[in-house]
Amino acid sequence: MADVSVPSLILFIASIVIAAGVAGVLIDTVTGISGALDDRGADVAENIRTDIEVISDSESSVYDAGSDTLTLYVKNTGRRTIPAVNESFDVIVDAQYRTNVSVTIVDGSAEWTPHGVVEVRVGGLNLGAGDHRVRLAVSGDEETFRFTTEQ
Amino acid sequence: MGFGVSGSTAVVFLGVLIASGTLYTAAAGSAERVSEAHDAESEELLDRRNTVIEAAEVVYDNSSGTLNVTVTNNGTTTLSVEDTSLLVDNEYVLPNGTTVDGDTATDVWAPDQRLVFTVDTGTKPDRVKVVAGNGVAASNTTVAEVN
Repeated sequence: MADVSVPSLILFIASIVIAAGVAGVLIDTVTGISGALDDRGADVAENIRTDIEVISDSESSVYDAGSDTLTLYVKNTGRRTIPAVNESFDVIVDAQYRTNVSVTIVDGSAEWTPHGVVEVRVGGLNLGAGDHRVRLAVSGDEETFRFTTEQ
Repeated sequence: MGFGVSGSTAVVFLGVLIASGTLYTAAAGSAERVSEAHDAESEELLDRRNTVIEAAEVVYDNSSGTLNVTVTNNGTTTLSVEDTSLLVDNEYVLPNGTTVDGDTATDVWAPDQRLVFTVDTGTKPDRVKVVAGNGVAASNTTVAEVN
């Protein structure tokens, strides 16, 4: 009898250990996937809630040829507060990525809350006369602004 | 052998149950958050479509250097005075005072009401742009002068 029960016990313990290992790996993997799904959902919801609008007029005065600076006013028309720092903005002027960007809140608030306005200055530009194109990207929301400079 | 099979099946089944519970919670939470954001965006879009503003009158007072911008809410959305932005000659300005149909303290700018911005500009501007909180804008380049 003992000859049968000892291998049975060993097989039983081995199968339980393997099953527990499989279940553990499954739970671990699914927990990881769930975490990623949760983060992704939060990111997508945040992107949907983000909306910006360039409110400057497309006149030549947005670009100051003397200081080679482009000044744009951007309104937060979304439903979340966006950090008013240049890291929040990806600025592409005439298909070139610009890093010389400074952001200032101009509406008197401490933060760029919904309906608030910031001033975005892009320095170090050397734009000739003609049509130009600025692309602003903030948290997945993209805005294109076209303007003309005069000689 | 029989106990081993049923025992390990039970353990694996428990694992699958816990895993599907975790996955469902995360998926449902995520979907709800995205759906709420979509709903809010649709509401916002509807408000925006129902918003029409017009920069009806821009008057510059030569003697006092004051600019009065009258904007009418021609849509059906009630707007906020505080959230409305004013650009004079493409420069963002904070108005010295705002009046909605004679009321200087209110933030409610209801349909068919006239909002008046008062700004000290010093010089006569060429163009004025008003942007409502939801991004709907109106501009006026006809600046009248009074003495």
